[in-house]
Amino acid sequence: MLKLFLWLRYLQKKKIVFLSFAAVALSVALLIVVASLFTGFINAFERSAVEMIGDVVVSPPTRFPKYPQFIEQLERLNSVKKATAVLFGQGLLHLGKGDVRAVEIWGIEPARRAEVMDFKSVLLRQKGLPGQPSFEVQGQPGKIGGFVGIGVLAEPNEKTDEYDFKEAEKMTGRQVVLTTGTVIENKEGQQGQFKRKTVEFTIADIVYSGVYYSDKAFIYLPIEELRKVLYPNEDGQAAKQIQIKLADGANVDAALAQIRGVWEDFASRQLGWDSYLIRSTSIETAKQMQSQLVAEFRKQMGVLLLIFGIVSLSAVLLIFCIFYMIVMTRQKDIAIIKSCGAGSGSVASIFIGFGACVGVIGSAIGTAIGYVITKNINVVEQWIRIIFGLKIWKSSIYMFSRIPNEVDWASAKFIVVLAVIAAVVGALIPAIVAAKTRPVEILRYE
Amino acid sequence: MHEIILAVRYLLRRRITYFAVLAVTLCVFIVAVVMTVMTGLVNEFKQKNHNFVGDCVIGTESLVGFPYYEDFVKILDGCDYVGAVSPIIKSYALISQTGIETGRNEGVEIMGIEPGRHGKVTGFGGTLSYNKEDVSKAFKPAYDPNLAGFVAGAELGRRLGIQGGYGTAGTKVLAVSCFPLTAKGTLARAGTDLVNTKTFYYSDTSQSGLVYADGSMIYLPFEQAQLLCGMNEPVKRTSWLYIKFKPGVKVVAGCEKVSLLWRDFVKERSGQTQADLLDKVTVQNWKNYRRAFIAPVEKEQVMMTVMFGLVGITTVFIIFVVFYMIIGHKSKDIGVLKSIGVSNMSVMRLFCEFAFLIGLLSSFAGLFGGWLFLLEINKIEGWLFKHFGFQLWDRTIYAIGDIPNRMGFGVAAVIALSAIIVCLAGAFLPSRQAAKLNPVETLRVSQI
Repeated sequence: MLKLFLWLRYLQKKKIVFLSFAAVALSVALLIVVASLFTGFINAFERSAVEMIGDVVVSPPTRFPKYPQFIEQLERLNSVKKATAVLFGQGLLHLGKGDVRAVEIWGIEPARRAEVMDFKSVLLRQKGLPGQPSFEVQGQPGKIGGFVGIGVLAEPNEKTDEYDFKEAEKMTGRQVVLTTGTVIENKEGQQGQFKRKTVEFTIADIVYSGVYYSDKAFIYLPIEELRKVLYPNEDGQAAKQIQIKLADGANVDAALAQIRGVWEDFASRQLGWDSYLIRSTSIETAKQMQSQLVAEFRKQMGVLLLIFGIVSLSAVLLIFCIFYMIVMTRQKDIAIIKSCGAGSGSVASIFIGFGACVGVIGSAIGTAIGYVITKNINVVEQWIRIIFGLKIWKSSIYMFSRIPNEVDWASAKFIVVLAVIAAVVGALIPAIVAAKTRPVEILRYE
Repeated sequence: MHEIILAVRYLLRRRITYFAVLAVTLCVFIVAVVMTVMTGLVNEFKQKNHNFVGDCVIGTESLVGFPYYEDFVKILDGCDYVGAVSPIIKSYALISQTGIETGRNEGVEIMGIEPGRHGKVTGFGGTLSYNKEDVSKAFKPAYDPNLAGFVAGAELGRRLGIQGGYGTAGTKVLAVSCFPLTAKGTLARAGTDLVNTKTFYYSDTSQSGLVYADGSMIYLPFEQAQLLCGMNEPVKRTSWLYIKFKPGVKVVAGCEKVSLLWRDFVKERSGQTQADLLDKVTVQNWKNYRRAFIAPVEKEQVMMTVMFGLVGITTVFIIFVVFYMIIGHKSKDIGVLKSIGVSNMSVMRLFCEFAFLIGLLSSFAGLFGGWLFLLEINKIEGWLFKHFGFQLWDRTIYAIGDIPNRMGFGVAAVIALSAIIVCLAGAFLPSRQAAKLNPVETLRVSQI
């Protein structure tokens, strides 16, 4: 009770203590915002990988046929919900006068893809329509349809970094020419010849995922049509990769082991592959595929937080100075308390407790400020653009259209605990000085 | 005089001052190290971009290009402020390695250059692996100089399997396919194959340090690129002209002169075949041309500075508290000073000089510590990498060499000045309070 009374009294009399609240709050807010933005970016990066290629990816060293049988066997596993095949290529897309773009071509099965990842929601025209997505061109049955990333067709506005969706949707129904190529084997043993292949297709829909690179460079065609272009001399289906969605709650390691078992069995019996090719097949989660980059991002975050953390140590010095000043100016109070029977430990605990209070209250204010700034970071960025004409966040640089704005509570808790400890450390020496006060000397009448 | 004496005295005698010095020194040290590294990286990046394009760039983003460039090059060659000019073809192509896994091809950007000219305008020669000394041989494969060679961006070369020396890479053959475009931007050779394809043989690798160029660009001989893109007839076209000014010519002034020259050139050519393409051509300096790449890194530098500014507010608080304490203890001294005739302004000046001394001392200590740390930063990183596998920037991901460690005088001066201003800002209110102290009240018997 006495401690509380003294704390409130020091707060009332020594308004300078509020500076220590402000310093702790500022440091905590800055660290929480930095940690949250970085963690949000990393999470968005990992999430975008999963949304792009599923939970698990099977990537053999070369394309393989009979993928529907493999998918069927996979979907019999309890840990696998759905799987879909993909075929890759690269090409040049001719959009109009002088307008040629280098693109990555994905041959997909859109209906299956929509079940493995949320593919339908990225299609501008079909996302609001019932049923599964398809390559059908409205009013032009029999035409080869394709999906084109919005960034292939248009650039985002220089100032707002936003696409004009209405203008982009007008491009559906347009016919475009894709040039790709393949090496045609002439005779056995003879070196193949590179042959150009052109595909005319109609834009059936526009893709907007919010991930700059995939919107900028990807087009999607029916997997069978792409197979006919790339491998015209082959019969049957071909795929380069299988993308898998795991069942809810599935154990990832167990699922990977099961999938590898099914693959080894399929590759040896159905494809007749040797053990080298089978072992060379990469089967990993989307997160594992991004792990090197993610580790690098986390390292950068750690270094930045360390730098700001070191600078924020000056808050410890501030608390030390303020508490030292309080102890020096309140020596008579301390002497009277000790003369009434309070022990040195008790006196020290008053100031250490007060320091902890400064840490707790300062952290609470800092957490609140950090939360508000993080949650409204996109609004803040917009206001900076309007007031200063400075566009800080650009999707072409930072990958995503919007700044991830989720608070990382795990980091926030860690930062708050560190802030409280730092405040206690700052109050430690003044507390010891206060504890060593000798009432006889302080209260002597001279 | 007494102000300086008292300021020094307070600095040396009041131990609490050491905390203020420590706090400011710590901030100055961190800011000096971080800003030196950031500034070094930004400057390195800008320099790489400058080396990539020369001083001035004339051209159009359209893949159609513009005609009559040879005449304008002759005019520029005759100017006394122009050092060299290099015409550039830029377009997109599909490349395929013959004899490799069927169906594997890749979309790349092609850059058609005349290596001799290009080496004089840009730092292209210095980026080559084998023909640094004689850039004119860039497109001559070592095993057969008569073949049409290509130079691969370093990262693209790695993806194509070009590793190690000539022995392993020498037989790399690429089929390069382009869309030939007419001057109106439509596809040439309509009704036929729609594309032009030619075979090129590996001759060299270029490591410019720019991720985009090294990752997705191949360099071809200018005439071959012109043929592939259909820009050789009926009137020859090019995409860009890169210009290097002579030493001593300022870039902005040089670009203005070139801009005026170009305006007159366009006027003279109006009415001629394909002259409408000249209207889409712009003249810009290298910074404007590369602003899409440079602006983001400059913006990050500004953001970092602003964030350090926010954290530096705590330092202001510390100075404030320290001065508040000192003035609280020295109220009698101030009373004595004022009673013997020292003015309010003089008292205020005393504490401001005290704050200035703290700022100055801390800046020197922080900058010296930062300079020492930066001298050894690469060795420290090397040691950490050797023993703990820790590298500040993974060199397999980032196109960075050594960490920049040269503290610029400008950066140091700005940091020192900021530290002094922070100290003065923190000391302002307490100094004003000290100046307003009434000697009658402070020297009253009950107070003494």
